[in-house]
Amino acid sequence: MSFGSPWFTLPEFTYHKPKTLKEALELLDKYGEEAKVMAGGVGLLAFMKERLMAPSHVIDLKGVPELGQAIYKEGEGLTIGATVTLNELARYGPLKKFGALHDAVRDIADPIIRNRATLVGNLCEAIPWVDTPPALIALGAEVEIRSLKGERRVPVKDFIKGPVEIDLEPGELVTAVHVPEPRRNSRSRFIKYNTGSEFALVSVAANVVMDGGRVRDVSLVYGAVSSTPQVAVKAADALKSAEKPWEVLDEVGRIASEEVEAVSDVLASEEYRRHLIRVLTLRVLREVMG
Amino acid sequence: MREITLTVNGERRKAMVKDNELLLDVLRDKLYVKSVKAACWRGECGLCTVLMNDRLVKSCLVLAVEADGAEILTAEGLVKDGEPSPIQKAFIEKGALQCGFCTPAFVISSHKLLTMNPNPSDEEIRSFLSGLICRCGTYNQIIEAIREAQKAYASR
Repeated sequence: MSFGSPWFTLPEFTYHKPKTLKEALELLDKYGEEAKVMAGGVGLLAFMKERLMAPSHVIDLKGVPELGQAIYKEGEGLTIGATVTLNELARYGPLKKFGALHDAVRDIADPIIRNRATLVGNLCEAIPWVDTPPALIALGAEVEIRSLKGERRVPVKDFIKGPVEIDLEPGELVTAVHVPEPRRNSRSRFIKYNTGSEFALVSVAANVVMDGGRVRDVSLVYGAVSSTPQVAVKAADALKSAEKPWEVLDEVGRIASEEVEAVSDVLASEEYRRHLIRVLTLRVLREVMG
Repeated sequence: MREITLTVNGERRKAMVKDNELLLDVLRDKLYVKSVKAACWRGECGLCTVLMNDRLVKSCLVLAVEADGAEILTAEGLVKDGEPSPIQKAFIEKGALQCGFCTPAFVISSHKLLTMNPNPSDEEIRSFLSGLICRCGTYNQIIEAIREAQKAYASR
């Protein structure tokens, strides 16, 4: 009994469960904007209950075997299919090579949700405070997109265009996320700060390539600070150009906290977020450079 | 409407469902499995948690049609010949409930935890159960109940 409230029910739709990728793409092509795909359903069903989405057709991808695989190939990297759940991914041994992603997927929502929620779903929601996009961007990941017309690859950084807005046309399907093999002497971590809410107030992913005592390359990406993940370019440059990088961490944190977009919302003020950016930058760099 | 078949607590059950019906509502309103509680309908409280094909899921986030052919285990299914299972007895013995509304979800989730790991640390228990809310705040007693029941799982 759902007390007659629309918040507890789903709008009407027709459910499809294709058994092959071709069949899934044909359904997407046929129904276009009328269709939404579902993997774990965690985000989609929540959006539908709140009537933020009301697709006439829901296409369940869990019947397509090739979308359910995570495959690591040495030298090439990790490809994570659209229906791989966060718990399945967390248990996949090679994930440890991708430190920032390993950190991020193990701490999203709660373990029961992670039995259903998928990495690709988490990414495609493109809600500003979700955890995996900063980690994926820091690791240089790409989104693999298929349609009946062909396929294309887009860096995660460009794929997220705005809050709940992604680079995906009607008829297209995100089949996988590809994370390239980590560079030699690189190390990455993801940390987030949250209080009572499971949602991060600020999260940061860092990926550094060390060269002796110096930082040859670094990527610093912040989540939950603005409408899209933010990359701190100036802070990264300051760290790369330092002869003694350990001595400039404070400065790097300060630059990052000033350069990236940060907003005020119900969870935190802009000022507090900038403070957190500075502190978390220090913490994450100590971890990846240590 | 379409017909789905579920194995609920070992018994094969059929139900006519619409594509937009939730597993939660079908379990409660069509199959009368009332230990599965409906509270938030949005995956936050965890009180509709069931074991579906041996995996814990929040049934308010699962379509009934998706569950076609699945095996569902709920707190009722742990009772054997009218006798509560060790985890259920332990909840009673340790007073791991006050109003009791969240108890079936905590029981089935604790059962799954102990089946996977009969000797979890306090930290592992807290983390594993972090998707469930007990508004009476009996979390410490729930940990005690799991400690009490773990011997029975270790000797299986």
